[in-house]
Amino acid sequence: MKKIDPQVEEAVETLSLNGLARRRLLSGAGMLSASAAAAALLSACSADNKSDSNKSGNGVGDFPETPKWKFVFVNHVTTNPFFTPTQYGAADACALLAASYQWTGSKDSSVPEMVSAMSSAVSAKADGIAIAVVDKNAFTSPVDKALNAGIPTISYNADGAKGDPGTSRLCYVGQDLYQSGVELGRRIASLMPSGGDAVGFIATPGALNIQPRIDGATDAIKASGKSINFKSVASGAELPQELSTIDAYVSGHKDLKGLFAVDAGSTESVGKVVKKYGLKKKGVVAGGFDLNPNTLTAIKAGDLDFTIDQQPYLQGFLSVLYLWLYKLSGGLVIPSVTDTGLLFVTKDNVDPYLQTKTRFEGSSTKQQLVKRSGPIAHA
Amino acid sequence: MSGITGPTPTPALSVEHMAKGFGAVTALRDVNLHLDKGEVLALVGDNGAGKSTLLKILCGFHRPDAGRILLSGEEVTLKSVDHARSLGIDAVYQDLALVNELTVYHNMFLNREMIRPTRLLHNRAMRKIAQEHLDQMGVNIPSVDVEVAKLSGGQRQAIAVARSVYSEARVLLLDEPLAAMGAKEGALILDLVNDLKARGEVSVIIIAHNYAQVFEVCDRINLLQHGEITFDKRTSETSVAELTDLVVEEYRRSRTQ
Amino acid sequence: MSERAVQDAIDGKTTTAGTPPVRRHGPLRLAFEAFVVRREATIFIVAVALLLYFWSNNSDFLARNNLVNLSQQTAPYAIIAAGMVLLLVSGEIDLSVGAVFALSPFLMHYMIDYYGTYPIVAIIGSILAGAVIGLVNGFVVVVLKVPSFVATLGMLFLILGIMLTTSHAYPAQIPEAAHGVRGWFGQSDWSELIWCLIIVAYFHVVLTRSRWGLYTIATGGNPLGASEAGIRTGRIKFGNFMVTSALGAFAGILEAFRVDSIDPTSAGADGASPMFTAVSAAVIGGTALAGGSGTVVGALLGALVLAELRNGFNLIGINANPFNIILGAAIILSMVLNVYLTRLRRAGRR
Repeated sequence: MKKIDPQVEEAVETLSLNGLARRRLLSGAGMLSASAAAAALLSACSADNKSDSNKSGNGVGDFPETPKWKFVFVNHVTTNPFFTPTQYGAADACALLAASYQWTGSKDSSVPEMVSAMSSAVSAKADGIAIAVVDKNAFTSPVDKALNAGIPTISYNADGAKGDPGTSRLCYVGQDLYQSGVELGRRIASLMPSGGDAVGFIATPGALNIQPRIDGATDAIKASGKSINFKSVASGAELPQELSTIDAYVSGHKDLKGLFAVDAGSTESVGKVVKKYGLKKKGVVAGGFDLNPNTLTAIKAGDLDFTIDQQPYLQGFLSVLYLWLYKLSGGLVIPSVTDTGLLFVTKDNVDPYLQTKTRFEGSSTKQQLVKRSGPIAHA
Repeated sequence: MSGITGPTPTPALSVEHMAKGFGAVTALRDVNLHLDKGEVLALVGDNGAGKSTLLKILCGFHRPDAGRILLSGEEVTLKSVDHARSLGIDAVYQDLALVNELTVYHNMFLNREMIRPTRLLHNRAMRKIAQEHLDQMGVNIPSVDVEVAKLSGGQRQAIAVARSVYSEARVLLLDEPLAAMGAKEGALILDLVNDLKARGEVSVIIIAHNYAQVFEVCDRINLLQHGEITFDKRTSETSVAELTDLVVEEYRRSRTQ
Repeated sequence: MSERAVQDAIDGKTTTAGTPPVRRHGPLRLAFEAFVVRREATIFIVAVALLLYFWSNNSDFLARNNLVNLSQQTAPYAIIAAGMVLLLVSGEIDLSVGAVFALSPFLMHYMIDYYGTYPIVAIIGSILAGAVIGLVNGFVVVVLKVPSFVATLGMLFLILGIMLTTSHAYPAQIPEAAHGVRGWFGQSDWSELIWCLIIVAYFHVVLTRSRWGLYTIATGGNPLGASEAGIRTGRIKFGNFMVTSALGAFAGILEAFRVDSIDPTSAGADGASPMFTAVSAAVIGGTALAGGSGTVVGALLGALVLAELRNGFNLIGINANPFNIILGAAIILSMVLNVYLTRLRRAGRR
C-alpha cells in the first residue's frame, strides 16, 4: 500500500468504517475511492447522535464521554407534589446527559435535616448540589464547605431573603420571589380599582420561599396608591388545614373584596372557597400561584382570575444542565442566575394546561411531544 | 385473757376507738384491739370488712378519722410510712412491695439503701449483708443477685418479711400472706412466723381471709365485722368451727335484711 | 451449672454435692461473657454490623467529615433520649420535648437580643425554662392525675404555639453576642458529640448506680409497691419530667448553633420529630415503653443506629420517597435482629 498522508488517515478514522471499506478507501483511487469516500461520509453524517458504545471517546450528543455524574437535590418539602415536575425535569436532563440525580432533604421543612443532607452529599463527594435555600443563615457554611470541596453548588426555588441570598452559591434557578410578589400586587391593584379589603394567604409565614411574595405584593399595592386594605394571614402547611382555615376566615369576613394566596396549596383552597360560597357573583376577585390541577379547573370555571406559574420543571432541568456543563467545562461555563418565569395563567390561556397531562406539569409520567399550532399569545 | 391474775403487761400495740371512712363508705367504726409482746394475732373478717384499711392506718399509709394508737403504752401519731417504720412498725402487703426488675438485695434495702461517700449505691455491702441476713433467717434462695421476678411466690414473700425484720420492726403487719399460695409454699411463711415467735422480739398481726390456715400459728383471733372487733378469743379457747358459725350466721342475717 | 441444677436451686432444693466443678476460663472468655451478659450488647452488635455494611458499600462512610456528620445526627437525639429513658423507666412519657427543643433557642435569642443577657446566662436560662416546662408537665400528671400521654400532648401544642407566635414563625439569626460561645455549644465539629458523651455517661450512672435510678425503676416497675415501701414516686416523676425537658432545651440550643440559625421548623411542622427520634432511639436501645427497665447507653446506640441508617442510605443515593420505605424496613429488621440476639443472650446465660 502506498504511504497514506497522516492527515488523511486521521480523517478516515473519524468515519468509523469497517476494515474492508477503509482499506478500499485508502488504497483505491479515482471514482471507486471517491464514491466510497462519499458513501462513507454520507453514512457518517446520517448516523444519529446516539452514543454508540462502539465509538470510543464519544459521549452524549457531540460531547466527549463523561462519567455518570451524580447531582444531589436538597429540598425542604421532599414529598410535596409541587416538586414532582422538578424531579421529572431533573430526570429528563439526567437521561439526556447520562448523569444521575438524588432527591433528598427534609419532609417538613426542618432546616437541621436539610443541613445534614447537604453534609452527607459533600461526604459522598457528589458531583454537584442544588439546594433550596429556605433560610438565609443556615446554609452559608454548608455551601462554603461544598464549594471548598470542589463541588459546584447552586440554589433553586428559593434563594435566601430579598437582596440577601445568604450563600455563595454559583447561581439561582427559580422565580424571582419578591418580583413575583410585586407582579401579584400590581395585578391585584388592577383588579380592584375601587379598593376594599383584601387578604393574602400564606402557608408558612417567614418561610423564605414564599414570604418575599407577600412582601412584594404589599409594597406594590402600596405603590399603586389604591385604597386596598391588604392583610396577610397564615393558612398552615398542610392542604386540608389550609382549606378549613381559609373557609373559616372568609366566612368570618364577609366584606372581603379580594382573596389571594402566595403558595400552591392556599391558592387551590381559595378557588374551592370561592366556588363554595359563590363569591364570584358578589364581584370578589381571587388569584394565586402555581398550577395545581384544582387551581387550573377553578380558573377555567372562573372562580379564580389568575395564577402565576414558576415552572418547577425548568428548576429541575436547568439545574442539572448547569451543573453538568460546569463539570464538563472544568468550571469555564459558570451557571448564571435564571428566572424560570413569572407567567400569568388566566381563563384566556388555561386550556392547553388543562387539556394535557404532561411531565412538565407533573400530572403524567409519560414522555410526549405536545403539539401546538397557531399564533403565540403576547402582550 | 382469762385465768391470768396480777397486772397485765403493757401491750406492744393498742388501738382505741379507731374510725375511718372514705367518702360515703365507713370502713372502720369503733375498732379496739391490742397486741401483746411476742404475740401472733390473727385479724379475720369478710372481704371489704376493713382489714386492709386498718393495716394501712397502723403502718402509717393512711391517717385515721378518729382514735388513738399506743405503742408500748405511749400514744403515737404516725405521720408517714417512714415515720412508722422508724418507730418499729412495718407492713408486708399483698403485692409485697417488691420491684420485679430489681435484685433481691436491692429489694431488701428498698428505700433504705446503703451508699458510698460518693453517694452512689454501695452494692457490694448490701449484697453481703442481705445474704447474711437471709441465711440467718433460714430463707433459701440461690443468690441475692437474682431479680425477684425469677423467684417463687413463697421466696418473694420470705424476702419481703426478711426485709421488715432486718429493718428492726417490732410490730409486723402481714396482709394476707397466704393468699394465692399452695400448701407447700405457705408452709415456708408459717415456719418463718414461728421462727419470729420463738425469738420473742417481734409481735405480729396476720390478716387472713382463710383463717383455717393461720389457726395453727396464731395465739389469738380477732374478728372484724361492721367496722368493729366483735370477737376476741385465744385460739386455744375457740375453734375453726366456732368462727365459721359466726361468719355464716352473719351472712344469713345480712341476706334477710 | 446445668439448667436443672439451677432450677432446683430456685425451687429451694440446693445441694452442694452433685454440681459440676466450676470451669476456669481465660480472661478473653471472661471479658466476652461479661460483655454478652449486658443488655446493650445486642444493639451494639447491630450498630457495628450496620457500620461495616455501609462502609463496605462506600468507604467514604468512615471518612472524617462523614464521622462528624454521623456524630451530629446522633448526638442531639441521644441527649434528649438520656432524659427520656429515665422518664420512660419511671412509667411516663413526654411528647412535648420536641416543641421545647424548638422553643429554647428562641428564648435564648430573646434574652440576649431584647434583654441584653450574657450568652452563657441566656443558655442556662433557656435550659431552666425547659425544666420549668417539665415541672408543669409533672404537676399535671402527678397532682392532677392526667395520663402523661394526653398531658404532654396538650403541652406540645401549647409550647409550639408559643414558639410560633412569639417568633412570628420567622427564622431568627444567632445573636452576635453568642458568637464567642457557639463553638463550645454545637458549632464546632465535635462539640455536640462531647456534650452527648458526658450527658449519656452521667445519666447512665444515675440510672444504674444511684438511689434516684433505683427509685425510678421501682416507680415504673411497681408504682403502688414502691410508694408502699415509702418511695416518693411523685417526686421521682417530677424530677424525670424536668430532666427530660431541660435536656430537650439544651439539645435545641446545640442544634441551633450547629446550623447557625434559629428556625421555627427545626422540630418539623408538628414539633414532634426530635421526640419521635429520641423515643425510637430509647426503645431500639432496649428501654421498655411500658416502664420499669431501660438503658441510657442503649439509647445512645439506638440513636447511632438510626443515624447510620439515615446517613448510610443517603450516601448510597436513595431518593426521598423510597427512602422512607427502606428506613422503615431497616428499623424493623434491626429490631428483629436485636430481639433475636437478646433471646440468644438470655438462653446462653442459663
